[in-house]
Amino acid sequence: MVKLKIDNREIEAKDGSVLMKVIRDTGTEVPSMCYLEGAEHFTSCMVCVVKDRRSGKMIPSCSLNVEEGMDIISMDEEVHEARKTALELMLSEHVGDCEAPCQITCPAHMDIPLMNRLLAQGKFAEAHRVVKKDIALPSVLGRICSAPCEGACRRKPMDGAVSICLLKRFAGDHDLNKETHWNPDKADDSGKKITIIGAGPAGLAAAYHLALMGHRCKVIDRNKLAGGSLCKEVPRKELPADVLAGEIQLIEQTGVLLKLDETVDADAFRELTASNDAVIVAVGKGESGVSEWGLAMHAKGVEANAKTYQVGDTNVFVVGSALKPSKMAIRVLGQGKEVSFSVDQYLSGRVVTGEPFMFNSRFGKLQLAEHAEYLKESTEGDRLEPEVLAHGFTREQVMEEAKRCLHCDCRDMHHCKLRIYSDEYGADQRRFKSDERVMCTKLDQHELVIYEPSKCIKCGICVRITESYKEEFGFTFIGRGFDVVVGIPFNETLDRGLKKAATKAALACPTGALSLKE
Amino acid sequence: MEVDPKDIDGIVNEVGSGQNAVIPVLQAIQNRYNYLPEEALRRVCEISEITPARIVGVASFYSQFRFQPAGEHIIKVCVGTACHVKGAVQVYDAMKRELGLEESEDTTDSGDYTIEKVNCLGCCTLAPVVQIDEVTYGHVSTSQVGTIISDFESQQGGDGKKQYKYAGGGEVKGEIRIGLGSCCVASGSDEIRDSVRDTIDRNGLNVNLKHVGCVGMCHQVPLVEVVPAEGETILYSKVKAADVEQIVEQHFKPKSLLKRISNKFLQAADTIRDDSRWMGVERYSLDVREKHVSSFLDKQIPMATEFRGVINPLDVEEYKARNGFRGLARVLKEMTPDQLVTEISESGIRGRGGAGFPTGQKWKLVASTKSDIKYVICNGDEGDPGAFMDRMLLESYPYRIIEGIIAAGYAVGASEGIFYIRAEYPLAVNRVLQAIDICREQGYLGKDILGSGLDFDLSVYQGAGAFVCGEETALMESIEGKRGFPRIRPPYPAVKGLWGRPTLINNTETFAQIAYILKNRAAAFNRIGTASSKGTKVFSLAGKVARGGLIEVPMGMTVKEVVEEIGGGVAGGRSFKAVQIGGPSGGCVPSWKSDTPIDFESLNEVGAMMGSGGLVVLDDTDCMVDIAKYFLTFTQNEACGKCSFGRIGTKRMLEILEKITTGKGTEKDLENLEDLANWTKKGSLCGLCRTAPNPVLSTLQYFRDEYEAHIKGECPAGKCKDLIRYEITDDCIGCTLCAQDCPVDAIAFKPHEKHEVDNELCIKCDGCRQVCPENAVIIK
Repeated sequence: MVKLKIDNREIEAKDGSVLMKVIRDTGTEVPSMCYLEGAEHFTSCMVCVVKDRRSGKMIPSCSLNVEEGMDIISMDEEVHEARKTALELMLSEHVGDCEAPCQITCPAHMDIPLMNRLLAQGKFAEAHRVVKKDIALPSVLGRICSAPCEGACRRKPMDGAVSICLLKRFAGDHDLNKETHWNPDKADDSGKKITIIGAGPAGLAAAYHLALMGHRCKVIDRNKLAGGSLCKEVPRKELPADVLAGEIQLIEQTGVLLKLDETVDADAFRELTASNDAVIVAVGKGESGVSEWGLAMHAKGVEANAKTYQVGDTNVFVVGSALKPSKMAIRVLGQGKEVSFSVDQYLSGRVVTGEPFMFNSRFGKLQLAEHAEYLKESTEGDRLEPEVLAHGFTREQVMEEAKRCLHCDCRDMHHCKLRIYSDEYGADQRRFKSDERVMCTKLDQHELVIYEPSKCIKCGICVRITESYKEEFGFTFIGRGFDVVVGIPFNETLDRGLKKAATKAALACPTGALSLKE
Repeated sequence: MEVDPKDIDGIVNEVGSGQNAVIPVLQAIQNRYNYLPEEALRRVCEISEITPARIVGVASFYSQFRFQPAGEHIIKVCVGTACHVKGAVQVYDAMKRELGLEESEDTTDSGDYTIEKVNCLGCCTLAPVVQIDEVTYGHVSTSQVGTIISDFESQQGGDGKKQYKYAGGGEVKGEIRIGLGSCCVASGSDEIRDSVRDTIDRNGLNVNLKHVGCVGMCHQVPLVEVVPAEGETILYSKVKAADVEQIVEQHFKPKSLLKRISNKFLQAADTIRDDSRWMGVERYSLDVREKHVSSFLDKQIPMATEFRGVINPLDVEEYKARNGFRGLARVLKEMTPDQLVTEISESGIRGRGGAGFPTGQKWKLVASTKSDIKYVICNGDEGDPGAFMDRMLLESYPYRIIEGIIAAGYAVGASEGIFYIRAEYPLAVNRVLQAIDICREQGYLGKDILGSGLDFDLSVYQGAGAFVCGEETALMESIEGKRGFPRIRPPYPAVKGLWGRPTLINNTETFAQIAYILKNRAAAFNRIGTASSKGTKVFSLAGKVARGGLIEVPMGMTVKEVVEEIGGGVAGGRSFKAVQIGGPSGGCVPSWKSDTPIDFESLNEVGAMMGSGGLVVLDDTDCMVDIAKYFLTFTQNEACGKCSFGRIGTKRMLEILEKITTGKGTEKDLENLEDLANWTKKGSLCGLCRTAPNPVLSTLQYFRDEYEAHIKGECPAGKCKDLIRYEITDDCIGCTLCAQDCPVDAIAFKPHEKHEVDNELCIKCDGCRQVCPENAVIIK
């Protein structure tokens, strides 16, 4: 046994134990990426650094054994900065997206690529569930959305963006046309009361998401019909009344109460704020009366926090065109979803920060030479157009069009250590941004795994694994220095290189460079 | 060339079939085919334990190895520090233009030539230097590249080796010593040796011809020293083969010549001493006792380089006659290993590899670690682009180093020693191999050395071109046949080193100085130097100094003394700006800090570093941002790629420097550069990248104004291509030389008129400025 100090605590540890593990045993998390249990350390990523109090030096804790008399600071400002810097250096050459550009662009942040993949497989109900997670009115939006996602679609400059909007419409209609409909599970009743003023897309979305979170939601609207601008500004031809009514009914099924034909004046507003745990103002553009409710105004609308939508630290939140006029239904619908996080945080006494967004690695446009690489995971062919727009796609067309999706999103999005730690340490991918970047390539030569070298952090875990599995070829480092790559010797294919250890290596890869196909 | 599997089988049989044999096997294949054909590598994997992952991983790590066939002749353009400051990049570019090579090509379509940049050919004083196969051209200007190629081609297919016979009998009249260090050989001392032999032979003279190692006066090479039996010793510098006859005949009156001719030569001999009347170019005789020469030599204390210019590198009898191996004999006879360790500790010697770790302490640690097998490694993987001390020591004093290593083996209890020498130093490898053989014959290596019971033997391992292998942990990985990735310490090599055994690694120069301590005892060594830095240090003094070369000075001598008294000040009437010490790990000592004594601590304090011992003098025409970029380009290129700070940090720093030197930098870039430099220093795994930011940080510390000028679009020294213009002043006489030289027709051909440079077309090759006889071409 050796005695050492970690964060001023005297501890004893077994001789020969790894410093990082000893620190973790004390309850302090230490990030690590290149460390592989059971193999020799490689000291590559440097995110596990801690500080040696005696020398002031940064030391990689995964690669050192405990020693008598060690005095370690596992976290302070400098250690935090060192880890963040290491992550930012890796991010500066990480040519890969976490979430796909379409999802990032979507104001409702819908997982479009996942929907596409499910549709492509004919799993329409599952696809609908993915949509409903983020979008309260899929069939409606599927008809009227201006689809900013399609503008960001990587396929757009090749042969037309994937027809995301119509695919989403199909997913929504698929459920809407059924006898029984699907809504997500609701959380337990919180007992909290919320009134939403305005039954337009913003208000309905806010009510839907908050109802699912277990809150008691009531939507008030001065009109006789729910839908706000959706009824007033959209031609019926584009959006049939039964579609709108059907989807609003589905929202009501989550427990949302609709009170139509009810106006709110200053007194009523005051009363609402007093009798409810929270009030959401979603009255739409230029609604008369709001200016008299005692809320601070600016030229375009009501003053509120741009991220949380909260008015000061009160129980009032403002979304939609009441905040700032918008013609884009998806934008205000997205706000309705976002504000649900703020309200929920507020009601449970947490700090109000708005919808949590995770770190996302982004690399921008594809270069022409990279089109072919991305097409490897897709099918050939121009964007499909429905024969009659109002009818949308057939099942066959949906499956065909959905297959055009390039799979820009990362397979490892939810497990990638680079992403998780970058999020945790607040890393900024642009800090060491370079004008040059390596080309994206996708090695799709193996039935189980796919390899994207431009996401590799050169930690050598796969090299160590394939060596221990005695692969005939396996992975090796090729080249030196900044330009080093991990590849199969003699340019052999992935399936020749990984005959035994493919799954093991893919699971151990700390990023999405080597990942399981399914 | 077709790959015959039998050839590969033969190589594997001879060299080895274990994973650890991979580097020597690759070297043998490359020797055979002049590159590494994939077929050959696959064959190796079939018949040996070497795996595809290993062979490809290793072959692609070391820069010695090529995957494409090279041309018949290799043109090496030295881009070491000394050559860099004298325009090596322009020479390289000009050479590529001459050969008609595109940016991405390195081999001519005809397959005649392959061009490559090399980091130091060890001829810093001849900078800039170009080597084609075995022929070295010094002081190359951009306008001479064509001439060099035709000269090289005119030598091809010439007469072979000549046979000589020596004059026999009679009284020996004296000795002629010819330097055979790298600089001398590069400058043509081989030819001179042949010419001397020829002259002696033809005239039946009875004179000893002796080869000596490096004299250290590399700025005057090739050197011929004439030591008559009576009278003064005369040192001739910058000798040409054609001069030899006159020199020889002046001193040793030939018997067989007609009196008429003899008289003629005596007359000629009179002119030899008068530089101005000698009709040849760039040569003059030099009396060793003349003032500037004696100051060059007298301030120095040769320990590692003792008997320089006197001793024949491979003559073991002479080494013994000059008390060589006597120290070792005494130690083996009179001292226990513990006593020897104590003696080394008492000498105060610290490692000469750069960091200055106390040698005695290291020995003690290895000695006290229990193991039945231990190793001693001599680190001769010198790769610093401005230094070649190790090479000179290995070439000139192999016995001295061997003596030091054997003693180390005795002290720490090792019976096996390994010389790790770069394959780029073939002469050093050759000499050391020969010296090892001779030592075995003489009983200094092998079983029961000098009857002491000590068993110790030495072998040579050739590095394959990776600067990082100078780092001790990477060096050992390399010997084990792996990529030269450094490992974290602890465990230190002293505890767990080569093959997991306790290993003592010392620098070449350290071992050479150990031999001095063995012979003269600790106190003699300890007397010299400062309180904490004892003894002497060998430097290669180069750059903008009047007299460059290898020097060995006592620790504590100031930078100023070295530059002014030894180096003779800055050359060419320019003003002294700074000294770059320690190469890519080191930093600058600016002129106003030139009172800094050269010792480990003082250099660290001013932000420089002893490093491996490059000492490059810079003048007002040198751009400090360019110097920082130069060194960072080197380290970034040599970084192994293992840790994120070293791999990406150095690259991003270099990108920022490139922005700054092309006038695209901003104030924010300066901040980012400094920030990133500090993190790379703190976060990197090994010494290479932990010290790589030093040249940047040190120039930022002392010359921040130059960085700021670049941001404003100006390079004050007129070095950075993108920030300068070439102009022709009214001094132009219309000779058209510049127009003829210009490779891109940026100067119109206008005889007898003032010429003009079209800066839109100009590629800043500097050719016009170099050829202008009136100095009318200026940089703005």
